Amino acid sequence: MADKKFASYTIVPDSQLMLAKAEREQVETVWDRYAAQQPHCGFCELGLSCRNCMMGPCRIDPFGEGPQKGVCGADADIIVARNLGRMIAAGAASHSDHGRDLVEVLASVGEGKAPGYKITDGAKLRQVAAEFGIETNGKDEPAIARALAKAMAEDYGTAKGRLTFLSRVPAKRRELWEKLGIAPRGIDREVTEMMHRTHMGVDNDWVSILLHGLRTALSDGWGGSMIATEVSDILFGTPQPVEGWVNLGVLKADHVNIIVHGHNPVVSETITAACSSAEMLELAKKAGAKGINLVGLCCTGNELLMRHGIPMAGNHLSSELALITGAVEMMIVDYQCIMPAISDVAACYHTLMISTSDKAKFPGMEHVEFHPDNALEQAMGLVRKAIENFSRRDPNRLSIPVEPQKLVSGLSVEAILKALGGDAGPLLEAIKAGKIRGAVGIVGCNNPRIRQDYAHVGLTKRLIAADVLVLDTGCVSVATARAGLKTAEALELAGPGLKEVCSALGIPPVLHVGSCVDNTRILVLVAALANALGCDISDLPVAGSAPEWYSEKAVAIGAYFVASGVTTHLGVMPPVGGSMNVVKLLTEGLTDVVGAKFIVEPDPNKTAQMLIAHIEAKRAALGLEARV
Amino acid sequence: MKKVVVRPERCVGCMQCMIACAVAHSRAGTLLGAIAESPLPKPRVHVGASISGRGFPNRCRHCDPAPCMAACLPGAISRDEATDSVLVDPARCIDCASCAMACPFGVIRFHEQAFAPPDKEVALKCDNCISRQEEGKVPACVEACKTGALVFAEPDEIQAKRTAEVAQAMVEGGSQPVGLPEGLELTWAIKRATAEMNRR
Repeated sequence: MADKKFASYTIVPDSQLMLAKAEREQVETVWDRYAAQQPHCGFCELGLSCRNCMMGPCRIDPFGEGPQKGVCGADADIIVARNLGRMIAAGAASHSDHGRDLVEVLASVGEGKAPGYKITDGAKLRQVAAEFGIETNGKDEPAIARALAKAMAEDYGTAKGRLTFLSRVPAKRRELWEKLGIAPRGIDREVTEMMHRTHMGVDNDWVSILLHGLRTALSDGWGGSMIATEVSDILFGTPQPVEGWVNLGVLKADHVNIIVHGHNPVVSETITAACSSAEMLELAKKAGAKGINLVGLCCTGNELLMRHGIPMAGNHLSSELALITGAVEMMIVDYQCIMPAISDVAACYHTLMISTSDKAKFPGMEHVEFHPDNALEQAMGLVRKAIENFSRRDPNRLSIPVEPQKLVSGLSVEAILKALGGDAGPLLEAIKAGKIRGAVGIVGCNNPRIRQDYAHVGLTKRLIAADVLVLDTGCVSVATARAGLKTAEALELAGPGLKEVCSALGIPPVLHVGSCVDNTRILVLVAALANALGCDISDLPVAGSAPEWYSEKAVAIGAYFVASGVTTHLGVMPPVGGSMNVVKLLTEGLTDVVGAKFIVEPDPNKTAQMLIAHIEAKRAALGLEARV
Repeated sequence: MKKVVVRPERCVGCMQCMIACAVAHSRAGTLLGAIAESPLPKPRVHVGASISGRGFPNRCRHCDPAPCMAACLPGAISRDEATDSVLVDPARCIDCASCAMACPFGVIRFHEQAFAPPDKEVALKCDNCISRQEEGKVPACVEACKTGALVFAEPDEIQAKRTAEVAQAMVEGGSQPVGLPEGLELTWAIKRATAEMNRR
């Protein structure tokens, strides 16, 4: 029985119930802060405000009567393009820095200086090392790890001049990037150059800025994020199909509840190890709990779910609500997507808040810094502290309002290929035969602008009913799992072709591919499909969608998908309305440049129609049977 | 006579008018000085938000007859004929809020003010920047507004401009209403559609 008052905020029953509890207990949430911010400043929403220098700050009047240029002379096109460029840089920097931290752990493992970490997937270590031109014969794993970490670190810099994983890109696509001058050269280099280009008085050609934006995004997608995914697989295991549970019902009244939030498995994997140690389980029992219940939020939760079946409490907009259950002894965070207000919510309960990254400090949190050489020790200390906090839980304020929902996770590319029998052949046959019309990657965040999960679930249901395979990551994967779409039962909602193929393969119609850096798994998959068909990625009957995105990281992801040839839908309009030139390039012109474009549409039903039409058109162009 | 005219279709919700108004009614007269004052100066124009998140600058209409003036018990509200402004005398105000009850627009607030008896909340509302006008300046909100949502002009001239725009649209633009810039129209249409979708 969900609280109808909050039905316009969220479709999720546990969110509605926790919002009602928040109101009763006078706890402020993200929705309250969003309402207080209305109206949003239209200059900023249109991308028409510039704060890049102190000759300003400037704004352009969209009505044409007030100022039409900033003090430096930049017009609407330049200001909008610069702002978008910086969003891409910030997003790419976040993903790529996450990748860098993993490379440093790999190096430490290779040097024997990282207790608590090891090489889990040795085969992948050798395979990736070979891609980086490292001779693996006769070398032990630590030596290969050291060499690979060093080679990956070089991809971040200036000297190499070319990203190694570009060898995974279909030749036609690589050649197109070379011709356009947007093949990424170095991961940090492209981000730095974007900051340079958008400084006052540098790149004042809006097309030039946006092309570099695509290059910067590609340095993330085929660079920093891809390195993050591959190194995470090497260190922690390549995901295989695993059962899991999702929504606030994963919290347990009779257990010590610990939530990990943030992004990097560098922290959450050691917490997992600590939580399952015999010593800690013994302590928990002494404290009167039946055990230690570790659950995840957001991407770090996705990483643990994909590899270990650790339950997921929720996605971005659920992060405060998870604490409002009153059931959480400790939340441990690292970086990205952690709202600074979360400590205020924790302070209303007994929940201890812990920050772990030197890069990410928050008000109201205790800082316990994790490094490769001390991580396991820190993790054990935190779990002990969480157990000690169990007795401070107030049973009168405890409310775990729903039963958890089951799901299937762990569909890495390796797992998908294994389910297909070893290679992409059966999938291609199903696509050619039209049983599966095509595939859509639905990715990205939540945003209080859109009723939580409404667009994610609505779009997914429409697509699978039309025999389109859905792969999802990040907050979307929680949304669809919560709605029961990652189960065998969900096959009843799929169209006849998709239902037949997925039933035969033993997979649900919606595949959980991972966290947000794992969007690169989708890149690897479409590259493999394009190579198998002998075409470019832009010829494939595929599309991307970020129906409820909020973050700069999402802008980078959307840009790298489009630059890679995958037309991508956005449910929230980015801040570009101030320049129709930019709008037209992104939503029309890019088709002539990179063979793909952006679509902006908030309504999931209309979105589904557009994406299905797009897929059918691609099928027709490939000479496949198509419904056009 | 020139007055502050609101063109709501041009408001982008930036709230610059509110900041400029508060600063213009501070002792310091500068932004940095104003935010350090006690009592903190307050804006007399308020930007509200529609359901789809669009802004509207809600200012006193200086009505004639003014409901607030009729309701005021101690006679603290009067009309300045020269500028056609309805003004509150903070020294006479007894903070009874009869004026706010009478005002249908919600533009009267109650705060301590620099230019009122100390330690007392009094009625605060737009004074048409009467002291700025006496110096030959336009009201602060108009000066701040970069989109022309707030202009200082003869009302008939503004309506004449609008008549011309409508005439152009009706005669040569089909029966479409007067258009907004394309990118703005697109952005606001998406906000509206999203708000409706959230309420379905």
